[in-house]
Amino acid sequence: MEIVVNLDVMMAKRKISSQELSEKIGITPANLSILKTGKAKAIRFSTLMALCSILECQPGDLLEFKE
Amino acid sequence: MEWDKDKSITLTQICLAIFAACNLALDVGMYWAVKATGEDRAAFFALLMISGYVISALAWAVLWRLWRFMGNIKRGVIFTKENYLHCFHISWCMVGAAVTCLLCGIFYYPFIVLFVAAGFVAIMMRVIKNVFQQAVEMKSELDLTI
Repeated sequence: MEIVVNLDVMMAKRKISSQELSEKIGITPANLSILKTGKAKAIRFSTLMALCSILECQPGDLLEFKE
Repeated sequence: MEWDKDKSITLTQICLAIFAACNLALDVGMYWAVKATGEDRAAFFALLMISGYVISALAWAVLWRLWRFMGNIKRGVIFTKENYLHCFHISWCMVGAAVTCLLCGIFYYPFIVLFVAAGFVAIMMRVIKNVFQQAVEMKSELDLTI
């Protein structure tokens, strides 16, 4: 069981680079990479809100539960 | 002079240096220190000398660990595995010192007091080590919270 972060998919759809997204959210590229690669242990609501705002999507588009 | 955490750490390091100097003085003057206990039985005198040097060696180990620990704190490296291992090793050195004091206390009663003191410090360091261990896990969790 895991929560998969489909950030790459949304970023490709919106045609936004990691550098640009990290700057707009206000996190470091390293932290964004941790999120993308599934190494993050938790995500703050403020970060999730910023991601949804910039990528114009819902939290469910970014986070997926897999058995 | 305003007091801050850097000055506090420096004061701790100065105290460690003073203790190291005292330990060195004890190493040099161990014979006279044991003689001052009034013990004149050759076998027990030798045992006290050996115990004194064992405790001194453990004290050097503790002082070195504490010096490294303080150095890490000064550099801002606080909740790391290295630091809780310092606490872990210090606690076991204190257990060793406590056991040595207990054995000496069999024939020189004032050592019982040192046994209790060393044992108490060992327990305190174990508690601190447990706290640091939890803090390292919490920090790891926090570092991976985006």
